[in-house]
Amino acid sequence: MRFREQRALELLRAGTGVADATFRPGQCEAIQHIVEGRGRLLLVQKTGWGKSNVYFIAAKLLREGGLGPALLFSPLLALMRNQIDAAVRMGVRALTIHSDNQEEWGQIEQAVEADQVDVLLISPERLANARFMADVLAGIAARVSLIVIDEAHCISDWGHDFRPHYRLIERMSRNLPATTHLVATTATANNRVMADLRDVLGPQLTVARGDLRRPSLSLQTIRMPDQADRLAWLARQLTQLPGSGIIYVLTKRDAQTVAAWLQSRGHNVAAYTSETGSDRIGLEQALLRNRVKALVATSALAMGFDKPDLAFVIHFQTPGSVVAYYQQVGRAGRALERARGVLLSGAEEADINDFFITTAFPTRDEAAAVLGALEAEPSGLSVSQILSRINVSRARTEKTLQLLSLESPPPIARAGLRWQLTAARLGEGFWDRADRLTALRRQEQQQMQEYVALNGGHMEFLVRALDGDPGPDLPPSLAPLSAEVDRVLTQAARVFLRRTSVDIEPRERWPGGGLPIWGLSGPIALEQRAQPGKALSIWGDSGWGELVRQGKYVDDGYSDELIGACAGLVAQWRPEPPPAWVTYVPSRRRPVLVAGFAQRLAAALGLPCLEALVKTHDTAEQKDMLNSAQQARNLDGTIAVTDVARPSGPVLLVDDICDSRWTLTVCSWLLRSSGSGPVWPMALALAGGGSRT
Amino acid sequence: MNLSPDTQAALLLTAPLLLGGATSDAQPLTPGEAKRLVRMLAGDGDTLSALLTPDSPAVGRAASVVSADRLRILLQRGFLLSQAIEAWQTRAIWVLGRTDAGYPVRLVERLGEDAPPVLYGCGDPGLLQGGGLAVVGSRKVDGALMEYTRGVGALAACARVTVVSGGARGIDQAAMSGALADDGSAIGVLADSLARAAIVREHRDAILDERLTLVSPYDPAAGFNVGNAMQRNKLIYAMSDAALVMCCDTGVGGTWAGAVEQLGKLRLVPVWVRPDRSSAGLLALQQKGALTWPEPKGPEALAEVLRSAQAAFAEAGGDEPATAATCAMDHGARLRETLGARGLARTEVEIAADLSLPSAEVKALLRRLVADGSLEKLVRPVRYRIRTYAPTLFDPDGL
Repeated sequence: MRFREQRALELLRAGTGVADATFRPGQCEAIQHIVEGRGRLLLVQKTGWGKSNVYFIAAKLLREGGLGPALLFSPLLALMRNQIDAAVRMGVRALTIHSDNQEEWGQIEQAVEADQVDVLLISPERLANARFMADVLAGIAARVSLIVIDEAHCISDWGHDFRPHYRLIERMSRNLPATTHLVATTATANNRVMADLRDVLGPQLTVARGDLRRPSLSLQTIRMPDQADRLAWLARQLTQLPGSGIIYVLTKRDAQTVAAWLQSRGHNVAAYTSETGSDRIGLEQALLRNRVKALVATSALAMGFDKPDLAFVIHFQTPGSVVAYYQQVGRAGRALERARGVLLSGAEEADINDFFITTAFPTRDEAAAVLGALEAEPSGLSVSQILSRINVSRARTEKTLQLLSLESPPPIARAGLRWQLTAARLGEGFWDRADRLTALRRQEQQQMQEYVALNGGHMEFLVRALDGDPGPDLPPSLAPLSAEVDRVLTQAARVFLRRTSVDIEPRERWPGGGLPIWGLSGPIALEQRAQPGKALSIWGDSGWGELVRQGKYVDDGYSDELIGACAGLVAQWRPEPPPAWVTYVPSRRRPVLVAGFAQRLAAALGLPCLEALVKTHDTAEQKDMLNSAQQARNLDGTIAVTDVARPSGPVLLVDDICDSRWTLTVCSWLLRSSGSGPVWPMALALAGGGSRT
Repeated sequence: MNLSPDTQAALLLTAPLLLGGATSDAQPLTPGEAKRLVRMLAGDGDTLSALLTPDSPAVGRAASVVSADRLRILLQRGFLLSQAIEAWQTRAIWVLGRTDAGYPVRLVERLGEDAPPVLYGCGDPGLLQGGGLAVVGSRKVDGALMEYTRGVGALAACARVTVVSGGARGIDQAAMSGALADDGSAIGVLADSLARAAIVREHRDAILDERLTLVSPYDPAAGFNVGNAMQRNKLIYAMSDAALVMCCDTGVGGTWAGAVEQLGKLRLVPVWVRPDRSSAGLLALQQKGALTWPEPKGPEALAEVLRSAQAAFAEAGGDEPATAATCAMDHGARLRETLGARGLARTEVEIAADLSLPSAEVKALLRRLVADGSLEKLVRPVRYRIRTYAPTLFDPDGL
């Protein structure tokens, strides 16, 4: 198709709202390349260069030439809103489909049907969604003229801890004939990534590569192992830093903790994670308009977030790779003369990154368990049926199913709700790739530690690591921030870390398949359920975690400090009606650990402690039961009420570590069934179930 | 699965690409239209993949066979194609185009330009090259005949002869399961629902053992259709060395039509009927030239029966692929034979002499085979040799 440069310029001006705007070097050529169908194009340009102008204008020109709509794949569509606003000003009809707007799918489907969509923005996961394929994409699939792959480095990285579904994008690219135009964009492509992209997108790929340096950004690193120190440092620095910014953390829990701490010190910040849900838009807008000082965010706030005047990006922990770090820190100072990127390095980051690395792939045992269960059932199994047959956690089982089903050809396939074996075996290639990627992740982790250790030349280090041209020396324009910490603030942070407690939600249903010995199944009657409970901490956290671990595994008894903290928590919590007596979860393996803790807590609360429950059979440890169905079944028929005379009033049910909540659920049911009042569960720590990631 | 451009083009132009409820205005080319298009392009030394290049003159020329609008609508189904391939791959289904190295040679030799432009399949495609004994008959049969048919399958297994059948209920399944149960091999030429058949557990183990290959010229998601079932019968014969009709009604049904076509118009392989004086259908086929199945009693006897029947058939002048349209294909096959898979490289002049063809024709042939990836062009001096392919279609470490 013929390229009309004047029309392209008109669209640029309409989109930017600037009457005399002109193309940045390379933009016009890129649009021409796409429109004229000169083969696949990869744009390697830093964020803010205007990649979206290129593909929106190209899509519009193709539409004006009578061709079909464009499909844009992006990992985080929620964050493309301001690019979409620009597209709308160009007259591009752009619609977004993601899991959060299913109620709009019907309308979008109609618009697609009526050919009223120019660009459809979707996430790679959509390609694996049968309903989406059948209902929405079906109407457009035969007419798509242009494929845009945003954040194309994910094809190579296919960070299994991030977007495994980019493998679908990879295969789509391989299977796409030359008749469909394709443009891929990324801000970060080192030589390894480039080699992968060439392999996937074809040897005829045209690469347009820009300068990766950000002269406005002053980078520094500070090693500060203790979390309380880093919290104190943040609380102090936020009062002095100009403008607003982002504080990146590695886990959702850290996002909540850091945000709560800073709020408690009077800072206007908010947590932003993948669980933030519908508040995301509001929070992004608040940051865009400088109505918050900072968002405390996980990597959920990364690609595509476009705030030209972002003044600082601070990392509370070191991310796993230079690619991830550059992506995040590169958000700052795009349209400012000066901005800061500060990386704090903490003691816990190695464990967290290790966790991400070691759990990115299923183990051979997990894969064998899942495949074995399916092998035994020719007509296939649902996820909950699989869980009732194997001792692998739900999250690990789902990850295993997902990664195996993304293999090509996959050893398993889903037919309706059931998973079934296909006529393909899981190849050794799967494990080779897992090993290769794990080794690569370790190198990347190591490289970030080298970055942390730098005394200068930070930008040069990053650009070199990305195989870009480091160019002439660019000294940072801002003096580094002081690494000093206020001792008083550190002490306050330490107290803060111990102040938070965690809710224990009561279970409302017996597990799938029920508990046959006790004859329990279906919903749990309201008068037999536990009340909402409390845990003092999360297993392994930076507040009480260490003391709990020491009590359980070193001292074989919990310290007075923990007893005091629990008594304080009950006083603060004030369950209503208040407990009149205390009992505890029985154990044959360690009969005194929890009993002793409960007795001392009862004494501190001034309540009687009674041995109301007894363990009648030895069982495997609950923590070795890896999914809910197994954990529940492990308890079936193994606990009974004693004949100790007990009051009928409300009771505080004490345990040390609460994992699946099944023990507390069963004990509550036993107590309520034998005439006790409301049961208030309380534990020292909540383990498993989302305490990390 | 990295498809060659010719196979991509063949799918875009001729396949329905069924995916979810995908609808489009596209009407895939009929076999006749596809044939004319291939012929037209071959006249200029081009293949279907020439249509994938933007602004290619081939697109303009193709308008003499297919309207420009229809061609454009079909060719712009690129994304749909990519997703259809993905859906097939999730069921371990591969695709072979007529110009791909693994495409069954028998089909090209026997059916020429009527060979399906693409085949979908699951299992080792190499099994399709080896021929075998076709066993055909009805869906509704009694227990005794099922047992008899299973016995034929088992005997074929002992003799290391592959059973070729249709994968339908009745005779097809009895023959195939008889062969597979005795550790033999089978080819199921399906008329519908390959995607469903590919994950049926009884099939899966034999497929993984490379003893069963399911193959179909129809979209893996396509449902049952009488016309397709009839067309499929032709492939069962073409894929085999000889055929045995177990039962059939007179004058009606796919079994009758397929056998009559073999005995009359096509004459691809020798055809037997089961000895049964009570079956009017089988007797009628005998009158049309079918041989009586001698009921061999052991594997050696079966091998001998097959050998002598094929020899007699060849002598009588059957199995002669002599239509003009198949010649272009033949040249390609002959060239492959001359060069062999061992990497022998020959110049254009040498090849012209080998094939005794005029140089213009050789030029066009070489251009076509280089373009579709089956030949490799070497320089200084310019020579050609067979490009070798990995044995499976799925790139083993492709991802």
